[in-house]
Amino acid sequence: MIALDDTLADVSWIERISLFRWALSAALIAGIVCPIAGVFLLVRRTSFQGIALPQFATAGVVFGFAILPWWIEHIGLGDLTAESALSDTHAAMNYHFAWAAVFTFVGLAALVWTGRRNLGSEIGRTAAAFAIANAATYLFGRLSPIGKGHADQLLTGEVLGVGLHEFETLAVVLGLSLLIFVWFQRDLLLVSFDRETARVLGKHVTAFEGLLNVVVGLTVSVGTMTLGPTMLFGLLVLPPLAARRFASSMTNFFLLSSGIGVLAVVLGVVISFELDFPLGPSIVAAAALALLPGAFPVRRST
Amino acid sequence: MSVLLRLDRAAFGYGRRTVVSGVDLAVGAGDFLGIVGPNGSGKTTLFRGILGLIPPLAGRVERTSAAIGYVPQRETLDPIYPLSVTEVVAMGAYGRLRGLRTLRRVDRDLARDCLARVGLAERAHDAFASLSGGQRQRVLIARALMTRPQLLLLDEPTSGVDRGAQAHILELLIGLNTREHMAILLVSHQLAMVRDAVKSCLWVANGMVERGSVADVLAPERLAESYTTVSSMLEDAP
Repeated sequence: MIALDDTLADVSWIERISLFRWALSAALIAGIVCPIAGVFLLVRRTSFQGIALPQFATAGVVFGFAILPWWIEHIGLGDLTAESALSDTHAAMNYHFAWAAVFTFVGLAALVWTGRRNLGSEIGRTAAAFAIANAATYLFGRLSPIGKGHADQLLTGEVLGVGLHEFETLAVVLGLSLLIFVWFQRDLLLVSFDRETARVLGKHVTAFEGLLNVVVGLTVSVGTMTLGPTMLFGLLVLPPLAARRFASSMTNFFLLSSGIGVLAVVLGVVISFELDFPLGPSIVAAAALALLPGAFPVRRST
Repeated sequence: MSVLLRLDRAAFGYGRRTVVSGVDLAVGAGDFLGIVGPNGSGKTTLFRGILGLIPPLAGRVERTSAAIGYVPQRETLDPIYPLSVTEVVAMGAYGRLRGLRTLRRVDRDLARDCLARVGLAERAHDAFASLSGGQRQRVLIARALMTRPQLLLLDEPTSGVDRGAQAHILELLIGLNTREHMAILLVSHQLAMVRDAVKSCLWVANGMVERGSVADVLAPERLAESYTTVSSMLEDAP
Protein backbone atom coordinates (compact mmCIF):
# COMPACT_ATOMS: atom_id res chain seq x y z
CA MET A 1 0.00 0.00 0.00
CA ILE A 2 1.19 3.49 -0.81
CA ALA A 3 0.72 6.31 1.66
CA LEU A 4 0.10 9.78 0.37
CA ASP A 5 2.99 11.64 1.90
CA ASP A 6 4.64 15.01 1.52
CA THR A 7 6.36 14.00 -1.70
CA LEU A 8 2.96 14.09 -3.40
CA ALA A 9 2.10 17.57 -2.23
CA ASP A 10 3.34 19.12 -5.47
CA VAL A 11 1.84 16.48 -7.73
CA SER A 12 -1.03 17.75 -9.88
CA TRP A 13 -4.54 16.39 -9.52
CA ILE A 14 -4.40 14.74 -12.95
CA GLU A 15 -1.19 12.97 -12.04
CA ARG A 16 -2.61 11.86 -8.68
CA ILE A 17 -5.72 10.46 -10.33
CA SER A 18 -3.56 8.70 -12.88
CA LEU A 19 -1.22 7.34 -10.21
CA PHE A 20 -4.04 6.00 -8.04
CA ARG A 21 -6.48 5.18 -10.84
CA TRP A 22 -7.07 1.58 -9.77
CA ALA A 23 -7.81 2.54 -6.17
CA LEU A 24 -10.11 5.37 -7.22
CA SER A 25 -11.89 3.22 -9.79
CA ALA A 26 -12.37 0.48 -7.18
CA ALA A 27 -13.78 3.02 -4.72
CA LEU A 28 -16.17 4.35 -7.38
CA ILE A 29 -17.46 0.87 -8.21
CA ALA A 30 -17.94 0.20 -4.49
CA GLY A 31 -19.72 3.55 -4.24
CA ILE A 32 -22.21 2.40 -6.85
CA VAL A 33 -22.79 -1.20 -5.77
CA CYS A 34 -22.38 -1.31 -1.96
CA PRO A 35 -25.25 1.12 -1.26
CA ILE A 36 -27.57 -1.10 -3.34
CA ALA A 37 -26.64 -4.09 -1.17
CA GLY A 38 -27.07 -1.75 1.81
CA VAL A 39 -30.63 -0.89 0.72
CA PHE A 40 -31.56 -4.55 1.06
CA LEU A 41 -29.81 -4.77 4.44
CA LEU A 42 -31.66 -1.65 5.63
CA VAL A 43 -35.18 -2.62 4.53
CA ARG A 44 -34.70 -6.16 5.84
CA ARG A 45 -33.61 -4.52 9.12
CA THR A 46 -30.25 -6.28 9.03
CA SER A 47 -28.00 -3.22 8.62
CA PHE A 48 -25.81 -4.29 11.51
CA GLN A 49 -24.75 -7.25 9.39
CA GLY A 50 -22.92 -4.56 7.43
CA ILE A 51 -20.50 -4.15 10.32
CA ALA A 52 -20.31 -7.80 11.43
CA LEU A 53 -19.73 -9.35 8.01
CA PRO A 54 -16.70 -7.18 7.03
CA GLN A 55 -15.20 -8.13 10.40
CA PHE A 56 -15.66 -11.80 9.54
CA ALA A 57 -13.98 -11.15 6.20
CA THR A 58 -11.05 -9.44 7.98
CA ALA A 59 -10.74 -12.39 10.37
CA GLY A 60 -10.68 -14.67 7.31
CA VAL A 61 -7.84 -12.68 5.72
CA VAL A 62 -5.75 -12.84 8.92
CA PHE A 63 -6.56 -16.55 9.29
CA GLY A 64 -5.32 -17.04 5.73
CA PHE A 65 -2.01 -15.41 6.67
CA ALA A 66 -1.79 -17.48 9.85
CA ILE A 67 -2.05 -20.82 8.06
CA LEU A 68 -0.21 -19.74 4.89
CA PRO A 69 3.05 -21.66 5.70
CA TRP A 70 1.07 -24.82 6.53
CA TRP A 71 -1.09 -24.39 3.41
CA ILE A 72 1.90 -24.04 1.11
CA GLU A 73 3.64 -27.02 2.65
CA HIS A 74 0.67 -29.40 2.64
CA ILE A 75 -1.65 -28.18 -0.11
CA GLY A 76 0.40 -25.76 -2.18
CA LEU A 77 -0.30 -22.42 -3.82
CA GLY A 78 0.88 -22.78 -7.39
CA ASP A 79 4.65 -23.00 -7.29
CA LEU A 80 5.02 -20.42 -4.58
CA THR A 81 7.03 -20.64 -1.40
CA ALA A 82 5.83 -19.06 1.87
CA GLU A 83 8.07 -16.05 1.21
CA SER A 84 7.19 -15.54 -2.44
CA ALA A 85 3.46 -15.94 -1.68
CA LEU A 86 3.62 -12.85 0.48
CA SER A 87 4.83 -10.76 -2.43
CA ASP A 88 2.84 -12.35 -5.24
CA THR A 89 -0.23 -10.19 -5.65
CA HIS A 90 -2.27 -12.57 -7.83
CA ALA A 91 -1.88 -15.75 -5.84
CA ALA A 92 -2.01 -14.03 -2.46
CA MET A 93 -5.08 -12.01 -3.39
CA ASN A 94 -7.00 -15.04 -4.66
CA TYR A 95 -5.97 -17.07 -1.62
CA HIS A 96 -6.98 -14.37 0.87
CA PHE A 97 -10.15 -13.54 -1.02
CA ALA A 98 -11.12 -17.19 -0.71
CA TRP A 99 -10.60 -17.10 3.06
CA ALA A 100 -12.44 -13.78 3.36
CA ALA A 101 -15.36 -15.32 1.46
CA VAL A 102 -15.33 -18.51 3.55
CA PHE A 103 -15.41 -16.55 6.82
CA THR A 104 -18.07 -14.14 5.51
CA PHE A 105 -20.35 -16.98 4.45
CA VAL A 106 -19.81 -18.85 7.73
CA GLY A 107 -20.74 -15.66 9.62
CA LEU A 108 -23.73 -15.04 7.36
CA ALA A 109 -24.91 -18.63 7.67
CA ALA A 110 -24.66 -18.39 11.46
CA LEU A 111 -26.68 -15.15 11.47
CA VAL A 112 -29.34 -16.61 9.17
CA TRP A 113 -29.50 -19.87 11.14
CA THR A 114 -29.84 -18.18 14.53
CA GLY A 115 -32.34 -15.73 13.02
CA ARG A 116 -34.55 -18.54 11.71
CA ARG A 117 -34.57 -20.03 15.21
CA ASN A 118 -35.31 -16.68 16.84
CA LEU A 119 -32.30 -16.97 19.14
CA GLY A 120 -32.16 -13.55 20.77
CA SER A 121 -32.79 -10.24 19.01
CA GLU A 122 -31.37 -9.29 15.61
CA ILE A 123 -29.18 -6.62 17.21
CA GLY A 124 -27.99 -9.03 19.93
CA ARG A 125 -27.11 -11.74 17.42
CA THR A 126 -25.21 -9.33 15.19
CA ALA A 127 -23.38 -7.75 18.14
CA ALA A 128 -22.33 -11.21 19.32
CA ALA A 129 -21.17 -12.10 15.80
CA PHE A 130 -19.13 -8.88 15.60
CA ALA A 131 -17.54 -9.54 19.02
CA ILE A 132 -16.56 -13.08 17.99
CA ALA A 133 -15.18 -12.00 14.59
CA ASN A 134 -13.26 -9.13 16.18
CA ALA A 135 -11.71 -11.42 18.80
CA ALA A 136 -10.86 -13.98 16.11
CA THR A 137 -9.05 -11.28 14.10
CA TYR A 138 -6.76 -10.51 17.06
CA LEU A 139 -6.27 -14.18 17.99
CA PHE A 140 -5.30 -15.14 14.44
CA GLY A 141 -3.17 -11.99 14.35
CA ARG A 142 -1.08 -13.37 17.23
CA LEU A 143 -0.25 -16.34 15.02
CA SER A 144 0.66 -14.14 12.07
CA PRO A 145 2.09 -10.67 12.69
CA ILE A 146 2.16 -10.08 8.91
CA GLY A 147 -1.54 -10.89 8.71
CA LYS A 148 -2.25 -8.60 11.65
CA GLY A 149 -0.29 -5.83 9.93
CA HIS A 150 -2.32 -6.37 6.77
CA ALA A 151 -5.57 -6.26 8.76
CA ASP A 152 -4.46 -3.05 10.52
CA GLN A 153 -3.77 -1.51 7.12
CA LEU A 154 -7.25 -2.51 5.95
CA LEU A 155 -8.81 -1.12 9.13
CA THR A 156 -6.94 2.18 8.72
CA GLY A 157 -8.53 2.46 5.32
CA GLU A 158 -5.43 3.59 3.41
CA VAL A 159 -6.37 1.92 0.16
CA LEU A 160 -4.57 4.02 -2.45
CA GLY A 161 -2.21 1.13 -3.15
CA VAL A 162 -4.93 -0.99 -4.74
CA GLY A 163 -3.43 -2.43 -7.90
CA LEU A 164 -4.74 -3.69 -11.22
CA HIS A 165 -5.40 -7.26 -10.11
CA GLU A 166 -7.27 -6.17 -6.98
CA PHE A 167 -9.29 -3.76 -9.10
CA GLU A 168 -10.08 -6.48 -11.64
CA THR A 169 -11.24 -8.88 -8.95
CA LEU A 170 -13.40 -6.22 -7.31
CA ALA A 171 -14.82 -5.06 -10.65
CA VAL A 172 -15.77 -8.59 -11.70
CA VAL A 173 -17.39 -9.52 -8.36
CA LEU A 174 -19.19 -6.22 -7.79
CA GLY A 175 -20.17 -6.07 -11.48
CA LEU A 176 -21.73 -9.50 -11.11
CA SER A 177 -23.47 -8.38 -7.91
CA LEU A 178 -24.86 -5.30 -9.67
CA LEU A 179 -26.10 -7.44 -12.54
CA ILE A 180 -27.91 -9.75 -10.11
CA PHE A 181 -29.39 -6.82 -8.17
CA VAL A 182 -30.72 -5.30 -11.40
CA TRP A 183 -31.83 -8.56 -13.01
CA PHE A 184 -33.63 -9.92 -9.96
CA GLN A 185 -34.54 -6.59 -8.33
CA ARG A 186 -38.29 -7.23 -8.49
CA ASP A 187 -38.03 -10.75 -7.09
CA LEU A 188 -35.57 -9.82 -4.33
CA LEU A 189 -37.81 -6.90 -3.37
CA LEU A 190 -40.99 -8.97 -3.33
CA VAL A 191 -39.55 -11.80 -1.22
CA SER A 192 -38.10 -9.23 1.19
CA PHE A 193 -41.27 -7.13 1.47
CA ASP A 194 -43.95 -9.83 1.44
CA ARG A 195 -42.68 -13.38 1.70
CA GLU A 196 -46.10 -15.05 1.71
CA THR A 197 -47.44 -13.21 -1.32
CA ALA A 198 -44.20 -14.06 -3.14
CA ARG A 199 -44.88 -17.75 -2.45
CA VAL A 200 -48.50 -17.45 -3.55
CA LEU A 201 -47.27 -15.85 -6.79
CA GLY A 202 -45.03 -18.86 -7.37
CA LYS A 203 -41.66 -17.35 -6.43
CA HIS A 204 -38.95 -19.59 -4.97
CA VAL A 205 -38.56 -17.56 -1.79
CA THR A 206 -35.77 -19.62 -0.23
CA ALA A 207 -33.77 -19.56 -3.47
CA PHE A 208 -34.06 -15.78 -3.80
CA GLU A 209 -33.17 -15.22 -0.14
CA GLY A 210 -30.18 -17.50 -0.62
CA LEU A 211 -29.18 -15.57 -3.75
CA LEU A 212 -29.40 -12.28 -1.86
CA ASN A 213 -27.21 -13.67 0.93
CA VAL A 214 -24.63 -14.96 -1.55
CA VAL A 215 -24.46 -11.63 -3.38
CA VAL A 216 -24.17 -9.66 -0.13
CA GLY A 217 -21.54 -12.11 1.13
CA LEU A 218 -19.46 -11.83 -2.06
CA THR A 219 -19.76 -8.03 -2.10
CA VAL A 220 -18.64 -7.83 1.52
CA SER A 221 -15.75 -10.28 1.25
CA VAL A 222 -14.17 -8.84 -1.90
CA GLY A 223 -14.90 -5.29 -0.75
CA THR A 224 -13.25 -5.88 2.62
CA MET A 225 -10.25 -7.55 1.00
CA THR A 226 -9.73 -4.65 -1.37
CA LEU A 227 -11.01 -1.53 0.37
CA GLY A 228 -11.13 -2.49 4.04
CA PRO A 229 -14.01 -2.89 6.49
CA THR A 230 -14.24 0.82 7.36
CA MET A 231 -15.09 2.04 3.88
CA LEU A 232 -17.24 -0.98 3.17
CA PHE A 233 -19.39 -0.56 6.27
CA GLY A 234 -19.73 3.14 5.59
CA LEU A 235 -20.86 2.60 2.00
CA LEU A 236 -23.24 -0.21 2.95
CA VAL A 237 -25.01 1.77 5.65
CA LEU A 238 -24.72 5.55 5.29
CA PRO A 239 -25.96 6.21 1.71
CA PRO A 240 -29.16 4.11 2.11
CA LEU A 241 -29.80 5.70 5.50
CA ALA A 242 -29.47 9.19 3.99
CA ALA A 243 -31.50 8.30 0.88
CA ARG A 244 -34.37 6.65 2.78
CA ARG A 245 -35.59 10.01 4.06
CA PHE A 246 -36.05 11.40 0.57
CA ALA A 247 -36.97 8.32 -1.47
CA SER A 248 -40.52 8.32 -2.82
CA SER A 249 -40.32 4.87 -4.37
CA MET A 250 -38.02 1.86 -4.24
CA THR A 251 -36.57 2.63 -7.68
CA ASN A 252 -35.85 6.11 -6.44
CA PHE A 253 -34.34 4.64 -3.24
CA PHE A 254 -31.86 2.46 -5.15
CA LEU A 255 -30.81 5.29 -7.49
CA LEU A 256 -30.53 7.88 -4.73
CA SER A 257 -28.45 5.53 -2.53
CA SER A 258 -26.07 4.75 -5.37
CA GLY A 259 -25.83 8.43 -6.29
CA ILE A 260 -24.96 9.38 -2.71
CA GLY A 261 -22.37 6.56 -2.67
CA VAL A 262 -20.67 7.95 -5.79
CA LEU A 263 -20.76 11.53 -4.46
CA ALA A 264 -19.29 10.34 -1.16
CA VAL A 265 -16.40 8.69 -3.02
CA VAL A 266 -15.72 11.83 -5.09
CA LEU A 267 -15.88 14.11 -2.06
CA GLY A 268 -13.87 11.63 0.02
CA VAL A 269 -11.10 11.64 -2.61
CA VAL A 270 -10.96 15.44 -2.48
CA ILE A 271 -10.77 15.40 1.35
CA SER A 272 -8.16 12.67 1.28
CA PHE A 273 -5.93 14.40 -1.28
CA GLU A 274 -6.31 17.89 0.12
CA LEU A 275 -5.92 17.05 3.80
CA ASP A 276 -3.69 13.99 3.42
CA PHE A 277 -6.22 11.78 5.20
CA PRO A 278 -6.61 8.05 4.56
CA LEU A 279 -9.07 7.51 1.72
CA GLY A 280 -11.44 5.00 3.39
CA PRO A 281 -12.38 7.09 6.44
CA SER A 282 -12.51 10.23 4.24
CA ILE A 283 -15.17 8.59 2.06
CA VAL A 284 -17.11 7.50 5.15
CA ALA A 285 -16.94 11.05 6.54
CA ALA A 286 -18.20 12.39 3.21
CA ALA A 287 -21.04 9.85 3.21
CA ALA A 288 -21.94 10.93 6.74
CA LEU A 289 -22.46 14.48 5.46
CA ALA A 290 -25.36 13.14 3.41
CA LEU A 291 -27.18 12.42 6.67
CA LEU A 292 -27.29 16.12 7.55
CA PRO A 293 -30.21 17.12 5.28
CA GLY A 294 -32.23 14.32 6.85
CA ALA A 295 -31.86 15.99 10.24
CA PHE A 296 -34.22 18.74 9.08
CA PRO A 297 -37.95 18.28 8.52
CA VAL A 298 -39.04 17.51 4.96
CA ARG A 299 -42.02 19.40 3.61
CA ARG A 300 -44.08 16.99 1.54
CA SER A 301 -46.88 18.01 -0.77
CA THR A 302 -50.16 16.24 -0.03
CA MET B 1 -71.20 -24.10 -10.68
CA SER B 2 -67.53 -24.46 -11.62
CA VAL B 3 -65.40 -25.51 -8.67
CA LEU B 4 -62.33 -23.30 -8.13
CA LEU B 5 -61.03 -24.95 -4.97
CA ARG B 6 -61.68 -28.39 -3.56
CA LEU B 7 -60.43 -29.90 -0.31
CA ASP B 8 -60.97 -33.60 0.15
CA ARG B 9 -60.48 -34.98 3.69
CA ALA B 10 -57.60 -32.53 4.03
CA ALA B 11 -55.59 -32.14 7.23
CA PHE B 12 -53.18 -29.30 7.97
CA GLY B 13 -50.66 -28.67 10.71
CA TYR B 14 -47.00 -28.10 11.45
CA GLY B 15 -44.43 -30.85 11.58
CA ARG B 16 -46.26 -33.90 12.89
CA ARG B 17 -48.86 -31.86 14.80
CA THR B 18 -52.24 -31.81 13.10
CA VAL B 19 -54.21 -28.61 13.77
CA VAL B 20 -57.29 -29.14 11.58
CA SER B 21 -58.35 -32.39 9.92
CA GLY B 22 -61.09 -33.98 7.84
CA VAL B 23 -61.75 -30.81 5.86
CA ASP B 24 -64.14 -31.26 2.93
CA LEU B 25 -64.78 -28.09 1.02
CA ALA B 26 -65.72 -26.95 -2.47
CA VAL B 27 -65.58 -23.28 -3.41
CA GLY B 28 -67.21 -22.20 -6.66
CA ALA B 29 -67.57 -18.97 -8.63
CA GLY B 30 -69.71 -16.46 -6.77
CA ASP B 31 -69.19 -18.02 -3.34
CA PHE B 32 -68.49 -15.66 -0.43
CA LEU B 33 -67.18 -17.61 2.53
CA GLY B 34 -66.02 -16.47 5.94
CA ILE B 35 -63.70 -18.55 8.10
CA VAL B 36 -64.51 -17.95 11.76
CA GLY B 37 -63.76 -19.59 15.07
CA PRO B 38 -62.23 -18.94 18.45
CA ASN B 39 -58.60 -17.82 18.84
CA GLY B 40 -56.17 -20.70 18.40
CA SER B 41 -58.78 -22.89 16.70
CA GLY B 42 -56.78 -23.29 13.47
CA LYS B 43 -58.35 -20.63 11.22
CA THR B 44 -54.96 -19.35 10.08
CA THR B 45 -53.61 -22.88 9.61
CA LEU B 46 -56.59 -23.77 7.40
CA PHE B 47 -56.17 -20.51 5.48
CA ARG B 48 -52.45 -21.15 4.93
CA GLY B 49 -53.26 -24.67 3.76
CA ILE B 50 -55.83 -23.40 1.28
CA LEU B 51 -53.27 -20.87 -0.03
CA GLY B 52 -50.68 -23.61 -0.46
CA LEU B 53 -48.26 -22.07 2.05
CA ILE B 54 -48.25 -25.33 4.01
CA PRO B 55 -48.72 -28.75 2.42
CA PRO B 56 -51.63 -30.99 3.50
CA LEU B 57 -50.66 -33.63 6.07
CA ALA B 58 -53.44 -35.83 4.67
CA GLY B 59 -56.10 -35.69 1.99
CA ARG B 60 -56.04 -33.54 -1.14
CA VAL B 61 -56.13 -29.87 -2.05
CA GLU B 62 -57.11 -29.13 -5.62
CA ARG B 63 -56.97 -25.59 -7.00
CA THR B 64 -58.62 -25.45 -10.39
CA SER B 65 -58.58 -21.66 -10.50
CA ALA B 66 -55.62 -20.51 -12.56
CA ALA B 67 -55.23 -17.34 -10.56
CA ILE B 68 -55.67 -16.78 -6.84
CA GLY B 69 -55.56 -13.30 -5.40
CA TYR B 70 -54.11 -13.08 -1.90
CA VAL B 71 -54.49 -10.16 0.49
CA PRO B 72 -52.25 -10.54 3.57
CA GLN B 73 -52.68 -8.72 6.86
CA ARG B 74 -51.26 -5.28 6.21
CA GLU B 75 -49.57 -5.25 9.67
CA THR B 76 -47.16 -7.89 8.38
CA LEU B 77 -45.77 -5.42 5.81
CA ASP B 78 -42.91 -3.28 7.10
CA PRO B 79 -43.40 0.49 6.48
CA ILE B 80 -39.62 0.96 6.19
CA TYR B 81 -39.91 0.13 2.46
CA PRO B 82 -40.43 3.47 0.64
CA LEU B 83 -42.74 1.83 -1.91
CA SER B 84 -45.13 3.94 -3.94
CA VAL B 85 -48.73 2.78 -4.27
CA THR B 86 -48.09 1.95 -7.93
CA GLU B 87 -45.07 -0.20 -7.03
CA VAL B 88 -47.13 -2.19 -4.51
CA VAL B 89 -49.95 -2.79 -6.99
CA ALA B 90 -47.45 -3.75 -9.73
CA MET B 91 -46.15 -6.54 -7.48
CA GLY B 92 -49.33 -8.42 -8.35
CA ALA B 93 -47.94 -8.86 -11.87
CA TYR B 94 -44.49 -10.06 -10.73
CA GLY B 95 -45.61 -13.68 -10.99
CA ARG B 96 -45.86 -13.16 -14.76
CA LEU B 97 -42.50 -11.39 -15.13
CA ARG B 98 -39.06 -12.94 -15.47
CA GLY B 99 -35.64 -11.29 -15.44
CA LEU B 100 -35.34 -7.81 -16.83
CA ARG B 101 -38.77 -7.74 -18.45
CA THR B 102 -40.61 -4.62 -17.46
CA LEU B 103 -44.33 -4.29 -16.94
CA ARG B 104 -46.11 -4.36 -20.28
CA ARG B 105 -48.52 -1.60 -21.22
CA VAL B 106 -51.40 -3.99 -20.58
CA ASP B 107 -50.14 -4.58 -17.01
CA ARG B 108 -49.69 -0.86 -16.40
CA ASP B 109 -53.22 -0.25 -17.64
CA LEU B 110 -54.45 -3.08 -15.45
CA ALA B 111 -52.69 -1.57 -12.42
CA ARG B 112 -54.45 1.76 -13.05
CA ASP B 113 -57.75 -0.08 -13.48
CA CYS B 114 -57.27 -2.08 -10.26
CA LEU B 115 -56.49 1.09 -8.32
CA ALA B 116 -59.58 2.75 -9.78
CA ARG B 117 -61.70 -0.26 -8.77
CA VAL B 118 -60.66 0.19 -5.16
CA GLY B 119 -61.21 3.96 -5.39
CA LEU B 120 -57.58 5.04 -5.06
CA ALA B 121 -56.64 6.08 -8.59
CA GLU B 122 -55.63 9.53 -7.43
CA ARG B 123 -53.19 8.14 -4.84
CA ALA B 124 -51.11 6.16 -7.39
CA HIS B 125 -47.90 8.12 -6.79
CA ASP B 126 -48.20 8.47 -3.01
CA ALA B 127 -46.05 6.53 -0.60
CA PHE B 128 -47.77 3.30 0.46
CA ALA B 129 -46.70 3.83 4.07
CA SER B 130 -48.28 7.30 4.12
CA LEU B 131 -51.81 5.96 3.52
CA SER B 132 -54.32 5.20 6.26
CA GLY B 133 -54.85 1.58 7.35
CA GLY B 134 -58.04 1.24 5.31
CA GLN B 135 -56.44 2.74 2.21
CA ARG B 136 -53.44 0.43 2.50
CA GLN B 137 -55.82 -2.52 2.73
CA ARG B 138 -57.56 -1.37 -0.46
CA VAL B 139 -54.17 -1.06 -2.21
CA LEU B 140 -53.42 -4.67 -1.22
CA ILE B 141 -56.79 -5.71 -2.66
CA ALA B 142 -55.86 -3.86 -5.88
CA ARG B 143 -52.56 -5.77 -5.91
CA ALA B 144 -54.44 -9.06 -5.54
CA LEU B 145 -56.73 -8.06 -8.44
CA MET B 146 -53.61 -7.73 -10.65
CA THR B 147 -53.53 -11.54 -10.93
CA ARG B 148 -57.03 -11.38 -12.51
CA PRO B 149 -58.24 -13.79 -9.84
CA GLN B 150 -61.35 -15.91 -9.88
CA LEU B 151 -60.79 -16.61 -6.19
CA LEU B 152 -59.78 -13.92 -3.69
CA LEU B 153 -58.40 -14.91 -0.29
CA LEU B 154 -58.15 -12.29 2.45
CA ASP B 155 -56.57 -12.53 5.89
CA GLU B 156 -58.30 -10.28 8.44
CA PRO B 157 -59.11 -7.59 5.84
CA THR B 158 -60.77 -5.15 8.26
CA SER B 159 -58.58 -5.70 11.29
CA GLY B 160 -57.35 -2.47 12.87
CA VAL B 161 -59.21 -0.06 10.59
CA ASP B 162 -61.94 2.39 11.60
CA ARG B 163 -65.63 1.80 10.95
CA GLY B 164 -65.76 4.01 7.89
CA ALA B 165 -62.84 2.17 6.31
CA GLN B 166 -64.41 -1.20 7.26
CA ALA B 167 -67.60 -0.22 5.47
CA HIS B 168 -65.63 0.86 2.40
CA ILE B 169 -63.72 -2.43 2.27
CA LEU B 170 -66.89 -4.49 2.76
CA GLU B 171 -68.68 -2.57 0.04
CA LEU B 172 -65.73 -3.21 -2.28
CA LEU B 173 -65.67 -6.96 -1.55
CA ILE B 174 -69.45 -7.32 -1.93
CA GLY B 175 -69.19 -5.48 -5.25
CA LEU B 176 -66.45 -7.80 -6.52
CA ASN B 177 -68.54 -10.80 -5.47
CA THR B 178 -71.88 -9.71 -6.89
CA ARG B 179 -70.85 -7.74 -9.97
CA GLU B 180 -67.81 -9.75 -11.06
CA HIS B 181 -68.93 -13.11 -9.65
CA MET B 182 -65.56 -13.43 -7.91
CA ALA B 183 -65.34 -16.13 -5.25
CA ILE B 184 -64.14 -14.67 -1.96
CA LEU B 185 -62.85 -16.45 1.09
CA LEU B 186 -61.83 -14.43 4.12
CA VAL B 187 -60.66 -15.22 7.59
CA SER B 188 -61.72 -12.81 10.32
CA HIS B 189 -62.32 -12.57 14.02
CA GLN B 190 -64.76 -9.70 13.45
CA LEU B 191 -68.01 -11.62 13.53
CA ALA B 192 -70.23 -8.62 12.79
CA MET B 193 -68.31 -7.90 9.60
CA VAL B 194 -68.49 -11.54 8.54
CA ARG B 195 -72.22 -11.67 9.28
CA ASP B 196 -72.91 -8.63 7.11
CA ALA B 197 -70.76 -9.64 4.17
CA VAL B 198 -70.53 -13.38 3.55
CA LYS B 199 -73.02 -15.86 2.12
CA SER B 200 -71.86 -18.84 4.17
CA CYS B 201 -69.35 -19.65 6.90
CA LEU B 202 -66.71 -22.17 7.83
CA TRP B 203 -66.69 -22.73 11.58
CA VAL B 204 -63.31 -23.87 12.85
CA ALA B 205 -63.10 -25.28 16.37
CA ASN B 206 -61.49 -28.22 18.15
CA GLY B 207 -59.54 -29.24 15.05
CA MET B 208 -62.69 -29.68 12.97
CA VAL B 209 -64.18 -27.56 10.19
CA GLU B 210 -67.91 -27.26 9.55
CA ARG B 211 -69.66 -25.34 6.75
CA GLY B 212 -73.02 -23.76 7.33
CA SER B 213 -75.20 -20.76 6.69
CA VAL B 214 -74.35 -17.47 8.37
CA ALA B 215 -77.41 -17.79 10.62
CA ASP B 216 -76.44 -21.30 11.77
CA VAL B 217 -72.74 -20.71 12.28
CA LEU B 218 -73.13 -17.34 13.98
CA ALA B 219 -76.10 -18.40 16.11
CA PRO B 220 -75.74 -16.82 19.57
CA GLU B 221 -76.01 -20.21 21.31
CA ARG B 222 -73.09 -21.64 19.35
CA LEU B 223 -70.98 -18.53 19.83
CA ALA B 224 -71.72 -18.45 23.55
CA GLU B 225 -69.88 -21.76 23.89
CA SER B 226 -66.71 -20.29 22.38
CA TYR B 227 -66.78 -16.58 23.10
CA THR B 228 -67.30 -14.75 26.35
CA THR B 229 -68.35 -11.43 24.81
CA VAL B 230 -70.61 -12.52 21.98
CA SER B 231 -73.01 -9.59 22.04
CA SER B 232 -70.29 -6.98 21.77
CA MET B 233 -68.60 -8.85 18.92
CA LEU B 234 -71.83 -9.07 16.92
CA GLU B 235 -72.77 -5.47 17.60
CA ASP B 236 -69.44 -4.23 16.31
CA ALA B 237 -70.85 -3.71 12.84
CA PRO B 238 -69.60 -0.80 10.72
